[in-house]
Amino acid sequence: MSNISPLAIIEKGAQIADDVTVGAFCHIGSEVKIGPGCAVYNSVTISGKTTIGANNRLFPMVVVGCTPDETDQAGEVAIGKANDIREHVTIYAGQESPTVIGNNNLIMIGSQVGSEAKVNSHGIFANFTIIGPRSCVEDYVRTSGFTMTSNEATIGAYSFVAGYAEANSDIPPFAMMQGSPLRARGVNTHNLKRCGFGDDDIHLIKAAFRELFNGTNSLPDEQTIQNLENSHGDNIHIRRLVNAVRHTMQKRDGAND
Amino acid sequence: MTELTVIREIAPSARIAPQATIGPFCVVGPDVTIGPGTVLKRRVIVSGNTSIGSGNVFEEGCAVGGEPQDLKYAGGKTILIIGHRNRFCRNVTAHTGTEVGGFLTRIGNDNVLKDGAHVAHDCYVDDNVFLGQNVLLAGHVRLQAGAVIEANAGAHHFVTVGRYARVSGSTPVRRDVPPFTIFNGGGIDSSAPAVRGIHEEGVRAAGISKYEEKELKNALVELFEDESALQTKIEQLINLGIEGEVAELCEFCQRSLKGVFGRYREQFRGVAPPEAFKYLPPEISADLKRPTL
Repeated sequence: MSNISPLAIIEKGAQIADDVTVGAFCHIGSEVKIGPGCAVYNSVTISGKTTIGANNRLFPMVVVGCTPDETDQAGEVAIGKANDIREHVTIYAGQESPTVIGNNNLIMIGSQVGSEAKVNSHGIFANFTIIGPRSCVEDYVRTSGFTMTSNEATIGAYSFVAGYAEANSDIPPFAMMQGSPLRARGVNTHNLKRCGFGDDDIHLIKAAFRELFNGTNSLPDEQTIQNLENSHGDNIHIRRLVNAVRHTMQKRDGAND
Repeated sequence: MTELTVIREIAPSARIAPQATIGPFCVVGPDVTIGPGTVLKRRVIVSGNTSIGSGNVFEEGCAVGGEPQDLKYAGGKTILIIGHRNRFCRNVTAHTGTEVGGFLTRIGNDNVLKDGAHVAHDCYVDDNVFLGQNVLLAGHVRLQAGAVIEANAGAHHFVTVGRYARVSGSTPVRRDVPPFTIFNGGGIDSSAPAVRGIHEEGVRAAGISKYEEKELKNALVELFEDESALQTKIEQLINLGIEGEVAELCEFCQRSLKGVFGRYREQFRGVAPPEAFKYLPPEISADLKRPTL
């Protein structure tokens, strides 16, 4: 354990892999597990029942596993592999179920992940993104600065949320969301191409978006969804989109269960 | 009185002027240079290949010289240069440049960066700039001298904010802001951000002659009365024969109009901007990819 600064405070019982670097003024709690290859820079606080996988980097002044203010029981956080968690990020611990962060995410400066939120993999969250408590963020999501997602909202896979957006309800997969109130402005084609989607699939998704949302922020009616399902229901991406929209429509006011 | 022990971690190879003050819980990395009279208060973290001039103040929780939040960064020893007499309030962050984007992030002299402001990779902040609370600058942004960005505003990649321009609070800046103007929008009426008037204090602060000041104000009123006809109005003004500040203003607007989505600096995507060649030592800038203009 030669990479640990003598100025770091590590409580008894913390399980830290041999090659982990821990900088000065870090405070690591007794129930924390840190996997191999991680770098914990300076002044990082990790508390609660936090499990951190391999090859993550926690930049200065990050706080992981703090409790949301109304309770003071130690909660749980599970972080996957190869995430970059930048300066001043706060990740709250979940009380009933753990706060989960998947793999290969980049969470930029000042962002917050609420308690019991589920963040999947390959997301990029720009500065001051606030992911609400109990919300679910799917794969390959991009958010711009100052984006805020509401409690229990689902941010669909491959979607992009523009800056200053307040996502009060679910965001469909593949969408490019912008404006106040937030609406689907189009399909995030740039991201889809990067993620290896074919031109045919992108064309289909675009057509489906035109049918479903048509630039409005209201949810489509059942007939439109049914038509889409009948015509292109065999395509997995369209099925994903349809399922997401159906799921949102079943919730009260589009967000809360 | 007993002498207090200051707990801090300073790498032995860091070059720190004897007159600099480094407070408790600060961490200074191995490739850092700190000039005389600079004060690092508490919990300030200076890492990376960072050089800080004299007379700067860093308040609690600042983290400067971190690596860029950019996927094209390949782990090189890119540079952050901070000038003299800047004030960095609490939790300010500034990152080093990227190899492709010109290797350098530069903050000039006499700037004020309020709490939580962020200067991203490859940004060039000139002198006397004010950044309000939580202002976000995306990568490759240029702030010209005397610009004022109010709290919670955010600048898109490759934006230029002109001299003594003012960006109002919570404004997303997606295109270049012409000098001496007030730029706002978004917010409550949710209309697209646009030029809304003349920044009178800025015109005064620029310290230009009375005659030129009058000329400049007239030109601003004429140009931004109806922005859709900006190009023809610039041409009209040029035909009349203009000089000094007005010529500079017209040149700025014309460059922005030619740029992508109103952003002149988009043409430096993937190459080093001219500022990099100006501020970097020649042994580094020799390897950079030059823009084709």
